[in-house]
Amino acid sequence: MSQLTEDNKENGNETNPESNEAGRRNFLKFGALAAGLTVVGGGLGKVFSSEKEPGEKVKVLNTGDGKVYEADVNHLQECNMPPVSMTEARRGIANKKFVMVIDLAKCDGCKKCTEACQTAHYIPSEREWLKVFKMKESEATAPYFFPKPCFHCDNPPCTKVCPVNATFKRQDGIVLIDNERCIGCRSCMAACPYSTRFFNWSAPSAEEVAAVGNIPYSPERGLPRKMGTVEKCDFCPDMLRQGKMPHCVSGCPMDVIYFGDQNEDAVTNGSGVTVKLSQLLEENNGYRHLEELGTEARVYYLPPKNRKYPVPEMKEDESGEKKDSKPKKMDMGSMQM
Amino acid sequence: MATEKFDLKQEIETLREDCLRPTRTFGRSSQIWVGFLLAVMAWGIFCYIRQLRYGLGVTAMRDYVSWGMYISTFVFFIGISHSGTLVSAILRITKQEWRRPITRSAELLTFVSLCFGGIQPIIDLGHPERILNLVMYGRVQSPLMWDVISIMTYFTGSTVFLFLPMIPDMALCRDRLTVVDTRYKKFKKWLYTKLAIGWKGTKTQWHLLEKTMGTMTIVIIPVAVSVHTVVSYIFAMTLRPGWNSTVFGIYFVAGALYSGSAGVILGMAAFRKIYHFEKYLTPRHFDLIGKVVLALTLVYAYLNMNEYWIPAYKMATAEGHLLSDLFYGNYSKIFWTCQFGTVLIPIVIMSFPKGRKITPLVITCIVIVIGAWVKRYLIVVPTMLHPFLPIQDVTKEWSTYFPNYVEFSVEAASLAGMLLIITMFSKLFPMMAVWEVEEGIEIDYDKEVAVELGKQRIADHAKAAAEAVKVSNGQLKQPA
Amino acid sequence: MKSILKKITLAISITGLFCNISAAQDQPKATGKSEATIGLSYNKKADSKTAVAVVKVKKDGRFVPALNAKVNFYAVHDKEQQLLKSASTDNKGRAVIELQKGLPVDENLASTIVAKIENDKLYENTEEQMHFKEANLTLSLNPADTAHLVTAKLTEMDKDGKEVPVKGAELKFYVQRLFGSMPAGENNTVTTDENGIATFAYSKNIPGDTAGLITVAVKMEDNEQFGSIESKLPAAWGTSLAIIKDPFPRALWGVYAPWPIIITLSTLFGIVWSIYVSIVIKLFKIKKEGGMPNV
Ligand code: SF4
Ligand code: SF4
Repeated sequence: MSQLTEDNKENGNETNPESNEAGRRNFLKFGALAAGLTVVGGGLGKVFSSEKEPGEKVKVLNTGDGKVYEADVNHLQECNMPPVSMTEARRGIANKKFVMVIDLAKCDGCKKCTEACQTAHYIPSEREWLKVFKMKESEATAPYFFPKPCFHCDNPPCTKVCPVNATFKRQDGIVLIDNERCIGCRSCMAACPYSTRFFNWSAPSAEEVAAVGNIPYSPERGLPRKMGTVEKCDFCPDMLRQGKMPHCVSGCPMDVIYFGDQNEDAVTNGSGVTVKLSQLLEENNGYRHLEELGTEARVYYLPPKNRKYPVPEMKEDESGEKKDSKPKKMDMGSMQM
Repeated sequence: MATEKFDLKQEIETLREDCLRPTRTFGRSSQIWVGFLLAVMAWGIFCYIRQLRYGLGVTAMRDYVSWGMYISTFVFFIGISHSGTLVSAILRITKQEWRRPITRSAELLTFVSLCFGGIQPIIDLGHPERILNLVMYGRVQSPLMWDVISIMTYFTGSTVFLFLPMIPDMALCRDRLTVVDTRYKKFKKWLYTKLAIGWKGTKTQWHLLEKTMGTMTIVIIPVAVSVHTVVSYIFAMTLRPGWNSTVFGIYFVAGALYSGSAGVILGMAAFRKIYHFEKYLTPRHFDLIGKVVLALTLVYAYLNMNEYWIPAYKMATAEGHLLSDLFYGNYSKIFWTCQFGTVLIPIVIMSFPKGRKITPLVITCIVIVIGAWVKRYLIVVPTMLHPFLPIQDVTKEWSTYFPNYVEFSVEAASLAGMLLIITMFSKLFPMMAVWEVEEGIEIDYDKEVAVELGKQRIADHAKAAAEAVKVSNGQLKQPA
Repeated sequence: MKSILKKITLAISITGLFCNISAAQDQPKATGKSEATIGLSYNKKADSKTAVAVVKVKKDGRFVPALNAKVNFYAVHDKEQQLLKSASTDNKGRAVIELQKGLPVDENLASTIVAKIENDKLYENTEEQMHFKEANLTLSLNPADTAHLVTAKLTEMDKDGKEVPVKGAELKFYVQRLFGSMPAGENNTVTTDENGIATFAYSKNIPGDTAGLITVAVKMEDNEQFGSIESKLPAAWGTSLAIIKDPFPRALWGVYAPWPIIITLSTLFGIVWSIYVSIVIKLFKIKKEGGMPNV
């Protein structure tokens, strides 16, 4: 919620875990880049309640080179500014390619991820950035739960059609929206094949305004909400800047969702178990949803094989075609697998 | 020929008076009509202001159907705007003599439907006040940007195209104004003088005008085609089932021409009735333009078949759901009514000469125009309701769509605005291109002289005469 | 600043409220309170020592995390309990406190910590204790480039303040990644020998940062005597990440359009608009002509 800047390079360096030459050089660079830094971590509350304890460390993700450093909270200063500048929010974190893996075999449809997301982003109940679908491909196949965030496509149809560059793709792979520039044409909603985007049809509710408060706007957070503009799942870039994982990842009790940096070939689940991305996908036959559309999604799925929970029941009225008068096979858009 | 000139002049004099008469009166019925239109507009504007204040949530649109009536109407109006280009430009290029009394109303229809078509996407915006972002941060990769560029180009072009043939008529209005007593004389004088841009009918002026007309006639056609092509691209450039189609560009152009030409017939019929142009807009004109509409409807029907039969044969999953909804699901009634009632049956009716008589033709065209609008709706809305991922766990309000009173009111206001501009225009300017019809009369006159030479030779002669007349035209119009 | 603080507090309390509700729903309603079990562990890292209590409740025959339980941590000294700190469990049922230096130790140099749930609104009283000793884990890399060997040495202090090796402890070797540590290989567990030393050969194709740096992490996890210890060291062993020269290329999805689009659009519309201009010029000519006296 606030930016802290490093004011003491020397001390910061001492706490730097990377104490060899290379690390030192990088760290000095980081000090010089202090203006583009966001800090925060477990120590946030302490910083604000001014009971700073000496030697307490917070994680710092240097947005210049995408490395995580640790720094002493006492050496950080508070600035009343949005987390990052607009340019930085549009560029994204250097040398990172965020990626998500969703293990359908573990998902029991409890929607805790959705809940975590809704709470963290103050999302009104009629829309869900991360929606858990109940899917069934055909008569004979078994139904399964299908959590669907924004896929942060590498060939994003939504970004292609935006006339004013209000929705944009960053170097770390994240697709974000600048609600202060969006003209509300909803081309992107028509273009996204995954029904991922939502429109602020009305002004945010009074409770939401009160809860969010008068914080400075940043595309990385999308708050305060702006009527007449578009929003969607954002991979929680404000959390990523703090070196933390998105809310849905930590919110899932079943450790369904893995999140990580593709450049590091590693993803971590909510319990902190880190695995090799390529191996995970290889061993479990990872796939992307509707690959044939060529959107190059950054979200991978592991098929619901050897599930850890009973097969969900599929009621007729839960199929997509609820308005259809004729009984016919359920509308499962997905033809994957 | 020289001896018969007196009669010809008489005839032309009647024509000029017939054309200018409506501009001199503003009767009770006109006042009521304008008052009614203003009231409809006021209500629509009130609804729009509410929409600005409380957000697009006051409409029936929601996240699944995020484009609704506004965008359908946008496509429809832009379609209607193809009338002017078609009738004026294409018929001008092909030297169709019967186009003469029709061009003005067709061009006007283009102009107004573009005005009101063009504002539809702006009405649909969540933040219309940020429209300048299109200039500041515009991305030419966006189909919407192509729309903006190409509609602006078409709008400029069609304004010029409407204005060019009006210049000699403006001069006529300016010159005649002094003889007849009118209200708002000062204003009108000023207006006509400005618009006539110093037209005196000199040889050089005619030469220049003909040249510019020639150029515009050619330029406006590709521009018009580009407009409707890129309008279709805002749909076709997406991956959605039902829109993801390569036939969309030409399909929209054909649909535009089909509805636009039907719109022209309606305009013709209205002016004929209201301003008593029976003498100039004869059943023969209706028969001929009826044939044009017939031809365009056939093209449209052919493309319709391509658009639906090809995917229907394959029934690919996602598209299959959409198509079954259209063919025998929720939208089947309106879909088949549209296909049969507004495409196939009109084809049958217009195939018979009797069907191209004024009354049946006008009724058919009303059906076609309404059908074209409903068809746009059927292109936009059902596709939005059939995304790749199923629509689950949403309330009925969020997963169905039917435009509500706000959308209907705003669209009614747009329509009223169109009619208002047409009305005001017809009260200020002649609704037929006087000089063009004059030319026609002269040609017809020559035809009569040569009537015994047989039908085939009449046509040839008329062509030659047309050339001759064009050359002599300059002198004819000069005062002594 | 203050207002932001308030907002955060508000947000936290809202989250708290939300957790309360779901926690309440999770529990059997008969007694009002549910029986919780505490798992207690000690974690030592390079820069911090923490005590972690994981609280779980049984629900439908399964253990699920107990949310928002208040856990009090006590240090035991000569049978006397002294309150250190309290913490509430998060959505994983974890309550964490930081331990300061100078915890009381017994004659074996071991400390004792007790975690208790006392008078909690949602959970029955319960407690759990643990004993642990301090140990040191030091890492070194082999200087040669031939094999990427990491050597870890585990020692403890004896009563005389002398370092003695710990034998037979299981150490696990990891690579530090953005959000956690990834096992360095299939079988990353090595037991320390009599010198307290364990060695592991790292693979040569671990993706590093742009400079090819990776961070090696070695952990001893949940040791009965010493708790968990983690130690890290940077190593220039990774494959270096290619720096993308232009992360924002001209593309359909990019900020700037590919040249063909720009060229096509500007040519087509350039032609049309220049024709428009020529027409306007002709109109001016017509006007000029009109201004002349009649011939
Ligand atoms: S999932 Fe949809 S909104 Fe997200 S990047 Fe892809 S196209 Fe855009
Ligand atoms: S709605 Fe906003 S973000 Fe979406 S395409 Fe339009 S301007 Fe861009």
